[in-house]
Amino acid sequence: MASHAIKTFALTKRFGDTEALKDLDLEVSEGEVVGILGPNGAGKTTLIRLLLGLLIPSGGRAEIFGLDCHSQTVEGHRRLAYVAGESNLWPTLTGAETLHLLGQVQGRVDTQYREVLVERFELDVTKKVRALSKGNRQKLSLVAALMTRADLLVLDEPTSGLDPLMEQAFRTCIAEARVHGQSVLLSSHILSEVEVLCDRIGILRAGVLVEMGTLAEMRHLSALTVEATFDGAVPDLSRVPGVTMVEVLGSSVKCQVNGTVEPLLRVLADSGVRELLSREPSLEELFLAHYGSASTGQSDASNAR
Amino acid sequence: MLAEVQSEASSASGAVSSTVIARVTARKAVRSGFGWGLVFGFYVATQALAYATSYPTVASRELLVQEFGSNPGVSALVGPATQLDTVPGYTAWKCLAVLAITAAVWGILSSTRLTRGEEDAGRWELLLAGQTTRRGAAIQALVGMAAGLVVLFITSGVIIVATGRRSDIGMGTSGALFLALAIVVGAAMFSALGALAGQLSSTRRQASGYASALLGASYAIRMVADSDTSLGWLRWLSPLGWIEELQPLTRPNPLALVPIAVLTAAAVALTVYLAGRRDLGASTLPDRSSSKAHLRLLSGQAGLALRLMRPTLVSWAAAIIAYGLLLGSIAKSGGKIMTSSPSMQLVFERLGVTGAEAYLGFALLVMAMALCFVAAGQISATRTEESSGRLEYLLVRPLSRTSWLGCRVALATGILVAGGLLAGLSTWAGAAANHAGVRFSPMIGASMNVVPPALLLLGVGVAVYGALPRVAVSVTYAVLVWSLLVEITSGVVNVNHWMIDTSMFHQMAAAPSVPVDWTTNAVMVAIGALSALLGLAAFARRDLKGE
Ligand SMILES: Nc1ncnc2c1ncn2[C@@H]1O[C@H](COP(=O)(O)OP(=O)(O)OP(=O)(O)O)[C@@H](O)[C@H]1O
Ligand SMILES: [Mg+2]
Repeated sequence: MASHAIKTFALTKRFGDTEALKDLDLEVSEGEVVGILGPNGAGKTTLIRLLLGLLIPSGGRAEIFGLDCHSQTVEGHRRLAYVAGESNLWPTLTGAETLHLLGQVQGRVDTQYREVLVERFELDVTKKVRALSKGNRQKLSLVAALMTRADLLVLDEPTSGLDPLMEQAFRTCIAEARVHGQSVLLSSHILSEVEVLCDRIGILRAGVLVEMGTLAEMRHLSALTVEATFDGAVPDLSRVPGVTMVEVLGSSVKCQVNGTVEPLLRVLADSGVRELLSREPSLEELFLAHYGSASTGQSDASNAR
Repeated sequence: MLAEVQSEASSASGAVSSTVIARVTARKAVRSGFGWGLVFGFYVATQALAYATSYPTVASRELLVQEFGSNPGVSALVGPATQLDTVPGYTAWKCLAVLAITAAVWGILSSTRLTRGEEDAGRWELLLAGQTTRRGAAIQALVGMAAGLVVLFITSGVIIVATGRRSDIGMGTSGALFLALAIVVGAAMFSALGALAGQLSSTRRQASGYASALLGASYAIRMVADSDTSLGWLRWLSPLGWIEELQPLTRPNPLALVPIAVLTAAAVALTVYLAGRRDLGASTLPDRSSSKAHLRLLSGQAGLALRLMRPTLVSWAAAIIAYGLLLGSIAKSGGKIMTSSPSMQLVFERLGVTGAEAYLGFALLVMAMALCFVAAGQISATRTEESSGRLEYLLVRPLSRTSWLGCRVALATGILVAGGLLAGLSTWAGAAANHAGVRFSPMIGASMNVVPPALLLLGVGVAVYGALPRVAVSVTYAVLVWSLLVEITSGVVNVNHWMIDTSMFHQMAAAPSVPVDWTTNAVMVAIGALSALLGLAAFARRDLKGE
């Protein structure tokens, strides 16, 4: 049964000719924090809006805690909270009025936690929304969602517009949610955020989930960066199996290794290597490696709206 | 639109051109001015032609003079009819009041949209980053708006002049142009006032609200002035009264252009002055940025909707009550003349209706029209919640789409019924205070009789909203404006009955002068309800759509 917080079955969404999401299968277990990365126009927002029932799928379906996202929205929404990247709240309501209203509509609020959140995000709830800055509006949306302690948090670039201090406060909240056993789906462009917070990471490109796994798994699949300095002449590494992107700089060389490092090590050992440095790629490097050139095709489609 | 502005901005060889706001505004104002110029011109043309063909003989024209000639009730509604036995006299009477008000509404809506609306949408920020100052931006927008007014004048003027050249119509060129001018100055005054209101308020809606209140007040003053000859001097206190004093095609009086020009110039000057003194996006009048929490209404979506609509509803209620009291108080004199001819008196006697009731049966049509505007406003407010993205905050919570939209429709229905009751009660009260002989229970029937057209429009609006949200507001207003035009055009002259039948107002019985036609009303409400149900079903099956 429902040990899945989110499960999609060949979920597809078309906007006219654009296929924003293609046969997507995604699972988020209960209590898991999953990050979704992808270039602009990859389909992250589309995926999230389908899960929320704001969009109607063109094919396939999705479930939240075993409840269909299209036909059982009300039941599903009792258990989730959502934050969008842009806060379009009612300009004439004050922060306190907004939180009260949204709490009433949700029907479940942890009032104590709400006070903690208001304090943590340094919100002035007596101000009307139209007098709030973009970042402060975003904080209001965040508090409105987090105060429900929902079983599933669906977050679409939730920290856009937040200053570094508030970004930190947000990370604290997600850590608390994890302790609390809440599940999280987080789409973001801030790689460090995803790197720190998420158990698993999915990479979406042109509506297709091209990669899904823990950071360690993804690193394993990806290249290792190796830098070596030689006493004598730099050997030709470009023909060593698994080695790519060779850059020679004087007596040192930098390259990427895919798969096993053994052939490279053998060559290096034979060539009198003085210093050797190897490190795993950061998420940023992983991301760039995935997107480098391949992303440009889709990314501009989002401007066509 | 943003892209449009950007491309406009960058097309001027890299640098932001210093007249870009004027050009963007002018393009939109000119397009709209041309369209409405056609409507105004053809409206005048059909009225003149219809009169010339329907009343070809002197005898038939004299009958018309007897019926409408010096009826203060009719004068109060659309202005006095001075030379009904000539084509130009009839045309001026039939067109001036209606088109001047339409032009004024156009002026308010366009100028608040093109000034405050563009600013609220953040489009000016992009352009103001260039060399233009805030004051410069305001001047440019006003210049663009003026271009629209010029095109409105030229378009309607050309059609009216061309119509006037026909031998059976016989309006001189200068007279025809003066009529066009009299119509367009309504737009000029109120677009200037709209721009000024835009400087004083913090949103476009608020600005339109202020300017519309001014228009309503000037209509009410003019109405009182025309209801009794001894009150004629009041006309000089009302911008719409000035337009009437121009008396195009009958006794042209260019002197009345003086207050019109002074008001317009003053509003423009004040607009420019204020524009330099405030921040972009801010208002001049104090606008509190924080307040105590008022949670009473905010326990759910219905309360939220009421709270957001409260200012609009209060102004509508005030307008309906004021208008009802006015109508009621002139009903006695209006009714006297309606029953002055023995044959008419016989007809009404047989129906068991007093003169004042006969008059109100015809005058309450305006209330039905007002309620239709309320209904269209409800569709617009509903769509705005979705297009602004605010609706998502509700629908991602345990609230189904059907309950959300259903609740809004129920609220709107309640508001319309309450509006009808207000209309009937206030009219009755106004009549009772003047001992006009209007009975209570027929007025209650009549007050419920003005609601069904609005409910029909509401249902149609919900159906379009459910299926095609992006065009829902324009379609709803288009249906409303079409019905208004058909209804106003028919009236005295004969129009094809198939066309008349497309007006929802025409289906309405003229209660209390005739018994309420409950069957027709039930049919209208049923069609509305059915359309609303279709709309609800469609809404549950579509994507939410932004702008
Ligand atoms: N309402 C819409 N109508 C038409 N096309 C749309 C609509 N919404 C999204 N798209 C298209 O679907 C694709 C995916 O868009 P989506 O907003 O999901 O991207 P995203 O991954 O969230 O991008 P970003 O990182 O910029 O937020 C894009 O090509 C976009 O142009
Ligand atoms: Mg997105």
